[in-house]
Amino acid sequence: MISRLKDRDSLVLVGSVLGLGVLLWLMSAPLAMLPAPVGPAAEQFSAGALMTIQLTLVSGIAGLVLGVLAALGKLSHLPPLRWLADFYVWVIRGTPLLLQILFVYFALPEISPKLQLNEFWTAVIALSMNVGAYNAEAIRAGINAVPTGQVEAARSLGLSKFYTFLDVTLPQAVRISLPPLASNLIALLKDSSLAYAIGVVELSMVSSRVQAASFQPFPVFLTVAAVYLALTTTFTQFAGALERKLAVGKR
Amino acid sequence: MSKGDVIISVDKIVKRWGSFTALNEVSVSFKEGEVVCIIGPSGSGKSTLLRTINRLEEHDAGRIVVDGIELDNDMKHIDAVRAEVGMVFQSFNLFTHMTVLDNITLAPQRVRKWKRERAEKTARELLERVGLAAHAHKYPSQLSGGQQQRVAIARALAMQPKVMLFDEPTSALDPEMVNEVLLVMRDLAKSGMTMLVVTHEMGFAREVADRVIFFDGGRIVEEGDPAQFFSRPTHPRAQAFLSQIKHAG
Ligand SMILES: Nc1ncnc2c1ncn2[C@@H]1O[C@H](COP(=O)(O)OP(=O)(O)O)[C@@H](O)[C@H]1O
Ligand SMILES: [Mg+2]
Repeated sequence: MISRLKDRDSLVLVGSVLGLGVLLWLMSAPLAMLPAPVGPAAEQFSAGALMTIQLTLVSGIAGLVLGVLAALGKLSHLPPLRWLADFYVWVIRGTPLLLQILFVYFALPEISPKLQLNEFWTAVIALSMNVGAYNAEAIRAGINAVPTGQVEAARSLGLSKFYTFLDVTLPQAVRISLPPLASNLIALLKDSSLAYAIGVVELSMVSSRVQAASFQPFPVFLTVAAVYLALTTTFTQFAGALERKLAVGKR
Repeated sequence: MSKGDVIISVDKIVKRWGSFTALNEVSVSFKEGEVVCIIGPSGSGKSTLLRTINRLEEHDAGRIVVDGIELDNDMKHIDAVRAEVGMVFQSFNLFTHMTVLDNITLAPQRVRKWKRERAEKTARELLERVGLAAHAHKYPSQLSGGQQQRVAIARALAMQPKVMLFDEPTSALDPEMVNEVLLVMRDLAKSGMTMLVVTHEMGFAREVADRVIFFDGGRIVEEGDPAQFFSRPTHPRAQAFLSQIKHAG
């Protein structure tokens, strides 16, 4: 294990996770040294970045699960499951994300007051539903790319459908799907800015508040853009290293 | 069950794809410890027969009983049969994301519920047996075709099956690798394993098989002792097939 961690990709993997942590916890210090309007609002920026990351990671993980389920639905032998999955993907990909967020926030509670969630969880539901639909396509393609011969070999060894999927199909499908899944995650990070529409205080919301208070759009938006770039770059590095690391054994 | 008892009985099975009949009322039985080579022209239904025996294909009519278990729609029966029947494919079908060792230990752990140490111990013994002890931690892509096929055989044997099905195990190999695989199969036959082998290796069939079955057009058209079959085939299709092979070889 130790020797494995020495290779460059493992360093990038560990480094980008640590980097993200450091970025989030220590970001306010360098920002605080900047002149107004950015310096005095450093804490707000870093809290906004933290919220953006939380939205992205929580929705990203839920979106992965949804993506796997929807992909399985699309590939199911049972027509109703196929229809359901196709319908889900069709609706989500065919309507704007902003509308989906507003729908979950305002329209769902009309159906039942129990569906009234706070702003954060509303955003998480809408974002994960959204990214899940895009993930479904990527995962379905990945599952289809796993040679059927390997599935047959697993079945002929007596492995159940479940273990065949878990041990043979899924790990290879994830590897194949990783590049599109990574770009979906980065799109999600940027799309999480739409949560500001329902009042989630994430990075974009912070920038618009600070800008409105200072009337100095240029430095404010420049700072926020830099923070977004730092976040997306970290994600990209992580995904790239993970992809190379998982490529082991693939010809 | 003792040597010589019927372990697989196939009774009038039919397999269709649309209007095409791949197996047309095929009846045959296989005995414990028997090595049977199945030969015949391409598309005659050889693979389909093997694949119905462990339910990679579902038969449309007839009965298949393996080790006393009838293959029907009961998933428990299907899983039980599959655990007792190993299969080796033309294209190896190793799990490319796993090491050789993980390929072999997966099913015993998942299906037989063996502990990792026990599965690894068995896997290493099997790798020794197929001459690949030094390759346990390699990935399939790092092995030659012949080595991959030997791993595939070890993987199937790790489940301690009662029957091994081979579907043209050497057809995808470069000529210089055919023998290393046949050698492993010879050893296995000597050890008393029940084997059903679809093959175009007539030398192997002649030497190792207890019985040869000749397929044509979804039916068994001739069946018999290898010495007799290869020297005096009776069915015209078998005669034509054998003379073609001789000329090609
Ligand atoms: N999945 C399938 N769908 C339709 N036809 C098939 C399928 N699998 C096999 N067949 C047909 O069944 C016939 C027998 O196939 P197979 O058992 O593979 O022949 P063999 O192994 O003797 O070459 C062939 O004509 C083949 O085209
Ligand atoms: Mg075949």
